[in-house]
Amino acid sequence: MTTQPLTIRSWPRAILHLDADAFFASCEQAVHPELRGRPVITGKERGIVAAASYEAKAKGITRGVSLYDVKKICPDAVIVPSDYETYSLFSVRMFEILRRFSPDVEEYSIDEAFVDLTGLRRSFHGPYGMIAKKMQETVGTELGITVSVGVSLSKVLAKIGSKHNKPHGLTLIPGRDIHLYIEKLPVEKVWGIGPNTAAFLRKFGITTALQLAKKDEQFIQKHLSKPYQEIWHELNGRSVYPVVTESKSSYQSISKTKTFTPPSDDETFVFAQLSKNLENACIKARRYRLSATRLILFLRTQEFRDAGLELKLSRPTAYPIDLFKPLREGFEQIYHAGNRYRQTGVVLTGLVPDTTVQYTLFDDTAKIEKFSKIYSAVDKVSEKFGKYAVHHASSLPTKLQTQHEGERGDAPQRKGELFKGENKRQRLGLPVLNVKV
Amino acid sequence: MKDTKEEKLRSRVREISRFYSRSGRMPSFSEIGEMTGLRSKNAVYKLVNKLAALKVLEKDAKGRLIPGSIASPVKILGTVEAGFPSPAEEELVDTLSLDSLLIQNPEATFLLKVSGDSMSGAGILPGDMVLVDKGQTPKSGDIVIAEVDGEWTMKYLKKRGENVALIPANPNYKPIRPKKELKIAGVVTAVVRKYR
Repeated sequence: MTTQPLTIRSWPRAILHLDADAFFASCEQAVHPELRGRPVITGKERGIVAAASYEAKAKGITRGVSLYDVKKICPDAVIVPSDYETYSLFSVRMFEILRRFSPDVEEYSIDEAFVDLTGLRRSFHGPYGMIAKKMQETVGTELGITVSVGVSLSKVLAKIGSKHNKPHGLTLIPGRDIHLYIEKLPVEKVWGIGPNTAAFLRKFGITTALQLAKKDEQFIQKHLSKPYQEIWHELNGRSVYPVVTESKSSYQSISKTKTFTPPSDDETFVFAQLSKNLENACIKARRYRLSATRLILFLRTQEFRDAGLELKLSRPTAYPIDLFKPLREGFEQIYHAGNRYRQTGVVLTGLVPDTTVQYTLFDDTAKIEKFSKIYSAVDKVSEKFGKYAVHHASSLPTKLQTQHEGERGDAPQRKGELFKGENKRQRLGLPVLNVKV
Repeated sequence: MKDTKEEKLRSRVREISRFYSRSGRMPSFSEIGEMTGLRSKNAVYKLVNKLAALKVLEKDAKGRLIPGSIASPVKILGTVEAGFPSPAEEELVDTLSLDSLLIQNPEATFLLKVSGDSMSGAGILPGDMVLVDKGQTPKSGDIVIAEVDGEWTMKYLKKRGENVALIPANPNYKPIRPKKELKIAGVVTAVVRKYR
């Protein structure tokens, strides 16, 4: 029964999913060739593993492990601070390379992309597997990082393919072979199915992806909501999710959180951290021309206990000055003297385009106009002189201590060694190879 | 006699050129006839052939006209065109930025700060930035960044048959002949030095 294919059509669509292997750590190894073959860990400034190279993973290190534990498990690990500028440069380049092959590239995350290859066999004079291999090789030679690739009939299946054989894997799942790849795959490993849905499906005796795919449409319609019905179609090789080529231009919510070490019990300092997050979130909201209708704030103690609060705003806004009053009130509700805090965060949600803002009867429109002028001036100053060139005084106490004291405060090498003409804020938009010649 | 003939031709080229810069396309045969006062299409045809021979314009496979030197008539015929609309804009279309001059393959180009002086003879000094292209296939004579038996170096690549050598551009250094392994990380495509 299970040997029967789900579909006999091999390639009605060809969707490729590309996932960079241990992306941050691979970038570090690409620009620091002496780190190749060694266990590399990024995230020094965070105190936990942000990314671990495959050499480190082999020793049992996973994401999120504290660096203290890393030193115990793997004493020869090289721990470096995150250099997001370099990672972003690599990411942009990776997507550009993919666009040489197909115009339909979806930048799914910093290190993942979907590419629609349907119909390209003709122009490349070869099968989809060859095109995928070429892509993988080009990224390898030009960027010096390895990527894992899956090609199949839908996004969900392509993602299963890219995970099938990591690192540096290349997995093709044509229609007639789908059942072979999902036969033993636990259903919660499928993209979009979380632990709760998996537990729900187990009640019906569904534990593998193939069992889900084989259920008839009536069952699916009766018991599952639309997102899962779509996954069911995708598992059967019927592409539902399109490859979205537009870059992200809108947000559901904008959140800014920052950790600081050592933890602080200084109320002024902790509030200043919150205030700075608020300013940052508002800057981003204004950049995307959005205004928030709800504000969430939270504090995290040294014991990782969280306290948070959601506030509804009387009018959509992206100006910190409108938000300081609710922020202060919320802060006083959740702040407890005597606790030591390690992280604060702010989330702006219920975002609406700033053009549709409706003033209430009691708003002082003249004042709001004034704020809009002030903040557009602030944004212009920041553009010219760098972020925080002008900021609110309530964020000033953040300067009482550096974000991270001790060795976690180490800056990435890129920020230390400047060429003539570069400055702290602006560097050349090319990754720097760190070899002595 | 010859002068007036040439003068006539020049004025016709000017007419066509003006049409081209005003409307952004080449005129049709009948439009050329109108602007030059040539009543028969055959006369226009002859004029077009003459201009095509002078490379003022070209004809595509279907016989339609493509501008030749007409886009910049100044250079070919030597007549100074006064009143040519926005010369700056027209001429600046085909300029390179310093970026695209130095970087052929933007996705594969990396920066590297030079610390040694083994390539001083090639004009590469300590502190200079070199642009390294990882996508190009290294050829004999290229300056390359290479890993030789575990050491990194920047040298001229010299290939003769099976033999590969890395040649410095400084008499104080010796050529390197890889014993075990040679890995070429990229080809140096440019050097940048900023003085102030």
